[in-house]
Amino acid sequence: MQLVPLEMMTIGEHGCVRDVDGSPDFVVRLQEMGLHEGARVRMVKTGSPCILAVNEHRFSLRFDDRATVLVELTR
Amino acid sequence: MTAPDSASAAPQLTVAVIGNPNTGKSTLFTALTGVHSRIGNYPGVTVEKKTGRFTLEGRSVQLVDLPGTYSLSPRSLDEMVSVEVLLGQQRDVGKIDAVVCIADASNLERNLYVVSQVLDLGLPTVLVLNMWDVAEHRGIVINVGELRSRLSIPVIPCEAHRRRHIEDVKQAIVSVVSQPPPAAPRVFPPEFYDEGLKLQSRLAEWGETNVPFYVAERLLLDVGGQFEATFSARHTEKLPAALTEARERLKVIGLKVPAAEAKARYAWARQVLNGAITLPPERTANHSDGLDRWLTHKVWGLAAFIAIMFAVFQAISTFSAPLMNLCEALQQGVGSQIGSLLPPGPFRSLIVDGVIAGVGGILVFLPQICFLFLFIALLEDCGYMARAAFLMDKLMVKVGLSGKSFVPLMSSFACAIPGIMATRTIENRRDRMVTILVAPLMSCSARAPVYALMIAAFFPSVAWAGGWITLHGVMMFVMTFFGAAVAIPVAWLFKKTLFKGETPPFVMELPSYKWPSPRIVAHRVYDRARAFVLRAGSLIFATSILVWAASYFPGDHTLEQQTSVQIEQVESKLADDPSLQAERDELVVRRNALSEQLLETSFLGRFGKGIEPAVRPLGWDWRIGVGVLASFPAREVIVATLGTIYSLGGDVDESDSGLQQALQNSKWPDGRPVYSIPVALSIMVFFALCAQCASTLMVIRRETNSWGWSLFTFVYMTTLAYLAALIVYQAGTAIGG
Repeated sequence: MQLVPLEMMTIGEHGCVRDVDGSPDFVVRLQEMGLHEGARVRMVKTGSPCILAVNEHRFSLRFDDRATVLVELTR
Repeated sequence: MTAPDSASAAPQLTVAVIGNPNTGKSTLFTALTGVHSRIGNYPGVTVEKKTGRFTLEGRSVQLVDLPGTYSLSPRSLDEMVSVEVLLGQQRDVGKIDAVVCIADASNLERNLYVVSQVLDLGLPTVLVLNMWDVAEHRGIVINVGELRSRLSIPVIPCEAHRRRHIEDVKQAIVSVVSQPPPAAPRVFPPEFYDEGLKLQSRLAEWGETNVPFYVAERLLLDVGGQFEATFSARHTEKLPAALTEARERLKVIGLKVPAAEAKARYAWARQVLNGAITLPPERTANHSDGLDRWLTHKVWGLAAFIAIMFAVFQAISTFSAPLMNLCEALQQGVGSQIGSLLPPGPFRSLIVDGVIAGVGGILVFLPQICFLFLFIALLEDCGYMARAAFLMDKLMVKVGLSGKSFVPLMSSFACAIPGIMATRTIENRRDRMVTILVAPLMSCSARAPVYALMIAAFFPSVAWAGGWITLHGVMMFVMTFFGAAVAIPVAWLFKKTLFKGETPPFVMELPSYKWPSPRIVAHRVYDRARAFVLRAGSLIFATSILVWAASYFPGDHTLEQQTSVQIEQVESKLADDPSLQAERDELVVRRNALSEQLLETSFLGRFGKGIEPAVRPLGWDWRIGVGVLASFPAREVIVATLGTIYSLGGDVDESDSGLQQALQNSKWPDGRPVYSIPVALSIMVFFALCAQCASTLMVIRRETNSWGWSLFTFVYMTTLAYLAALIVYQAGTAIGG
């Protein structure tokens, strides 16, 4: 199992969220919005902020040292 | 809609509507209640309270629309309101009989998160699977019957934007209240519920009786949440210790707060959906990906943004011009019609010069306002606005803000009040404060009449590119974004000095692209137009009358009125005897001189002359000075005030009394025209930057809980406005000779 931080994904890569860690406030918010453990993600646009498709719903997210999202690459 | 309730003695039902953002909640709400909704505020907080009603089978149902939310875990007082409403603790609303949970059928797993929290409340609940067509289109197959039996609540597929299955939703609401509420799903291990009950009884020991179980649940789960803050304030010693111990015990059994909640609820959601939903194979990149990349591209995206904004303002300027001319003609027609019915005297002057020239002058801009709101509503509803926010995040980060601030700032282009209220989506307090302080710099719709008047009167109507681009449109665009451009250094300065702090995290949902719903758009335009007209009818009406009175009294108008009567007598014979024309013209000149003198010796005139030295460096005469002062409560008053002043001043021929011409003809005592392009620019720049809106200052005070920040906003904006107008006028005259 290869885990990479979300920001390392390249355009079009698919993955599955395995861990969300960091400041509790931010982590809870990310999870409620759908970026929870087990969610399928696809990188639409890299960079900061990036665009992420989570179960086909798009999010913009700026990476931040307050939270780390680890993803298992699936394709 | 207002069918008599006498048919049945059944009491009115109160039903709350809740769901994730971007699930079509407002569309469903409008579809259920029609246009009969009322918008207000919950006491003490800035959450909009929207209610509406419908009647089905003699049962009257009051719907309460709660703000879109991803969860029911309140982290602020604003988020607390929804929970209070659902718990029946919001006195404004009362007891809730049922909840309508609206979920996006194409994103059920996440939407079930908040559904599971709602089910914990133990209220009769209806689950509406909205955007059913979108889900079908994506190849998602949902077994509704299976979901219904697994959740043991009514589940209704719905396409609110096409008004399909709305009746089913109504029917389900009315019938669900008579059924026993569903059992709350046990998403946590039994130990958690024991802890909850234990906490409930501890609270009861401390005198907190009747604390709902859901509140105990939140106290355990939300570390640093709003419930913890509220209850800890009352039980400073006992509660924090009790919570720490309880959370420790939960940790021992493997329930790590706060991470445990998401895990447990999503596990439940997966279990509910497993076998009841068939998802299509995961898709690879699609056309929407390409569009997203293009619209958020640092070069092309920005170019597209500027092009869209330019097209919008060009369109507003082009489309509204003929309608505005029509309104202006109508206003003048009404003015002269009423004028001819009334004998000359203070009353006629009050109606014609005060009310029609004042309030009517501002109503002329209604088409423009409607177009502005139309375009903003279209951009929001099609999903573009969120992409623009993404694009702006890069810029916002440079001044220390995040893309989150963009949406409130963008809505401030319509009106700063909803814009400032929208800042509550910004979690970071420093960012929120900076956004509030610069929001009034965005060019709100009340500035549009001022710009339109000045531009139409003083800039030649030149067109390029076969009429697609006009100088008036370009100027409108430039003026509209002038305030925003000034806001960039101002925000940067605030962030560097008053509100130092790191850049906040930025996470935002980008709603899928869709065709705007005509109903939603029409509804929003109607709401805004109504507010504009109401404001013209109240605040501007009152100011117009005050301005009229100050400019009519204390002079003796007998001679002026006699001259007016003579003019009318001569005019009535004019058709038969053209030789009277000269006599009529002479009388008009005499009357105008009298009016001018009366205006200058009126209270307003004397006051204006007093302040003239202060506004002379900006290129203004006393009339503009007075107009600007009178417009501090509401900036669009300037148009009404100038209308009244010029109407009374008799500067213009009555058959040709448009305010534009009046401005063009206005002269200094030495005969030079008052208005020139630098003067028009100096006025526009002043209005772009000045804090001339009492309601905005009131909202700032409510949102920041201090008059200090209102005062600060007023002082900094007014100073900025004066200095900028001074620079523009002085530089303009130096260049223009």
